[in-house]
Amino acid sequence: MTMIACGLLLIGIFVYVFYPERNVEAQVQKTRLDFLRERKEMLYDNLRDLNFEYRAGKYPEEDYAAQRAAMENEAAEVLAEMDLLERGVGAV
Amino acid sequence: MECDNRSSPNILQETVLLISIMPAFGSFALLLALALSGYNLFAGAIALRQLATGARGRVSPERLAETARRAGIGSFFAVTCAAFALVWAAFTNDFSVSYILHHSNRALPGPYKFAALWSGQEGSLLLWAWLLATYGLVLRLRHKVDVKLTAYASTILAGIQIFFLLLLNFAAPPFALVAGTVPQDGFGLNPLLQYPEMVIHPPMLYLGYVGFSVPFAFALGALMMRYPGEKWIHITRRWTMVTWLFLTCGIFLGAHWAYSVLGWGGYWGWDPVENASLMPWLTGTAFLHSVMMQEKRGMMKSWNVWLIFSTFALSILGTLLTRSGLVSSVHAFAESAIGTWFWTFLVIVLAVCLFTYILQRDHLKSEHKLESLVSRESSFLFNNLVLLAACFTVLWGTLFPVISEYVQGNKVTVGPPFYNRVAIPIGLFLLFLTGIGPILAWRSTSFKSIRKNFILPAVSAVVTAIVLMACGVRPWQDWSEGQGSLYSLMAWSLGALVVTAVGSEFLRGAGVISRHTGQNLFASMIQLMRRNTRRYGGYIVHFGVVVIFIGLAGSAFNQSTEQELNFKQSMKMGPYRLVCQDYSQDSNLNYDTEYAILDVYRGDKKITQLSPERRFYQASQTTSTIVANHSTLAWDLYVIYAGKDPDNGQPIIKVFLNPLVAWVWIGVLIVILGTFVALTPNMTAAFAASRTRVPVSEAPAMAMGKGGD
Repeated sequence: MTMIACGLLLIGIFVYVFYPERNVEAQVQKTRLDFLRERKEMLYDNLRDLNFEYRAGKYPEEDYAAQRAAMENEAAEVLAEMDLLERGVGAV
Repeated sequence: MECDNRSSPNILQETVLLISIMPAFGSFALLLALALSGYNLFAGAIALRQLATGARGRVSPERLAETARRAGIGSFFAVTCAAFALVWAAFTNDFSVSYILHHSNRALPGPYKFAALWSGQEGSLLLWAWLLATYGLVLRLRHKVDVKLTAYASTILAGIQIFFLLLLNFAAPPFALVAGTVPQDGFGLNPLLQYPEMVIHPPMLYLGYVGFSVPFAFALGALMMRYPGEKWIHITRRWTMVTWLFLTCGIFLGAHWAYSVLGWGGYWGWDPVENASLMPWLTGTAFLHSVMMQEKRGMMKSWNVWLIFSTFALSILGTLLTRSGLVSSVHAFAESAIGTWFWTFLVIVLAVCLFTYILQRDHLKSEHKLESLVSRESSFLFNNLVLLAACFTVLWGTLFPVISEYVQGNKVTVGPPFYNRVAIPIGLFLLFLTGIGPILAWRSTSFKSIRKNFILPAVSAVVTAIVLMACGVRPWQDWSEGQGSLYSLMAWSLGALVVTAVGSEFLRGAGVISRHTGQNLFASMIQLMRRNTRRYGGYIVHFGVVVIFIGLAGSAFNQSTEQELNFKQSMKMGPYRLVCQDYSQDSNLNYDTEYAILDVYRGDKKITQLSPERRFYQASQTTSTIVANHSTLAWDLYVIYAGKDPDNGQPIIKVFLNPLVAWVWIGVLIVILGTFVALTPNMTAAFAASRTRVPVSEAPAMAMGKGGD
């Protein structure tokens, strides 16, 4: 009985592990462009948060303007690099 | 072998057959799990290496990685079979298994037989392995989230699993058989563990300890593969929060168990095993905060990686302290020589982490620098430093007996005064940071902004302090008895500061939504929370922490008294009078009990009857105390039957009046609620807009109003 139970467990798991799978998930390599897209999303998120907090009356006008300008500059740099990379990909 | 089920000869025969095969089946399942985890580690590592270098073997790396993933899933089924075999052995009273003989007996109630799985060393290591396999199963089934990163994490988890399976197969086998004649009954479960909370406290704590393996594996994997960006944090965020929640619940369930069972009147005694659970909680909490800086601003990458490495290492250290008997503790229910295995594993883990960090440290360069000392970033940084200082203090105090024995040859232990001297000021500073953190802006905060946002919370703190002093909390009068009342005054005042700061965050945000949607303030607040669950869930957690601090601060005003109390005699404690009605005895198969019946009066009105007990467990020949507690929001009337005076045979009753303890448990419930809110996915701005009465022209503005983080 012990042998049968152990044998069934062994065979069941062996078949599951080595059963030939036709559609194996590809190991996708993340590119710099993917990373920049994520960064852009995060920057937009940060900008939305800043706007919301400003409208909630949390920051004085000058603080808000300075913060917003800094974030927009950062976003512009990311967008510029994305544009460059996309054009590069397009050219290839 | 005798069996409980005697209703039918056929059933009896089948049960006896299953009893005899289960230990062998369990042992085989553990060996199989080890082989599968070994395959997962080596095939996974080869596949990832091939993918990194572009080399190809006879089998494609993708296919090899897939078999490794499946082997990981297979190991879950094998470990589950082993855990089932041990539980089966407990329920069928299979005392041929040494572990069951030593941790169970026939009269033990069913839930405690189940709890026997983690009441001893071998069983609790099996629980560790099973929980790790379960976390691994979820991770491997969800591999499509990020195939390559998950493959790395799965391979690292397999490495951790191998360690625990090696222990279970060779150092602490749970299915070891009893040599010679098998006794008819077991030696029973430790009486201290025969309490309802002990059925859920250890699994909760272990879910927390084990759970940190997942963010650790993702962090190490992301570093090994030089994962571009911070998405791995986004992937592991829920894992980390769930794990943190389990650890929090485990810690407080343990505190509640200690309060209800150990009978010393408190819930936290800075016991080494309590400390062991607190340390990963402190670093895990630091990680949950500082990781936001990495996500939002690309900062503190090295710091975060080391925080999660440390949290995992401290989880392993916690298991080592709980299970090896390295330090003496009321919570350490197992002692053995597996310490060397754990130390070796810890050294290997730290070596791998250090090697990977040195190799890939250029990948962890910060994208931004700290721009101002008065900013949200700096408040997170201070929060982290303070949490780490607390962790180091606790670690130092916990390991001091071991270090002193090694250096001086004699064991010197440090007690609660050492911890309290450091931990209380640190806790108060953390509470202060909890209040000012949300007020500060990212990058830098101007003085004008601080003045604008800080005045109301500061006024609230000052007003609370004045009201409390007017009500009689006067530290200068109690100075000779220690600084307890000063710390309590500070805790309550800072609590008011945090509640005001958090409350105004909610009100301000809800005000914006209310103006746009025309909803009332409450509905707007709900919508605000649903739009940014992480942020506002976090605020609810902070509110829960304040409530916990309110309860903790009450301990400065604890009172206790002890007296011989005979039939119809009475004793006083605070506003209560306890009158002894009777002493009685009772017996069942598991234990004999002796208890007092006490009527409790407030003024002339009887408000309740309490029955503190002392139990004697036959199987283990040990005694335990069952506390009787009348808990209200103001205080707990906590009564212990301390036994009989050996000189005159008079019964002794010990009474404590512990103010505000209920708030500690209420605070934990709020923390749980807040974490659940934080775990809920955000409602999208578009969906939120569709649910409101906002005119079409205002819709774009709404999309801008997510609710901030």
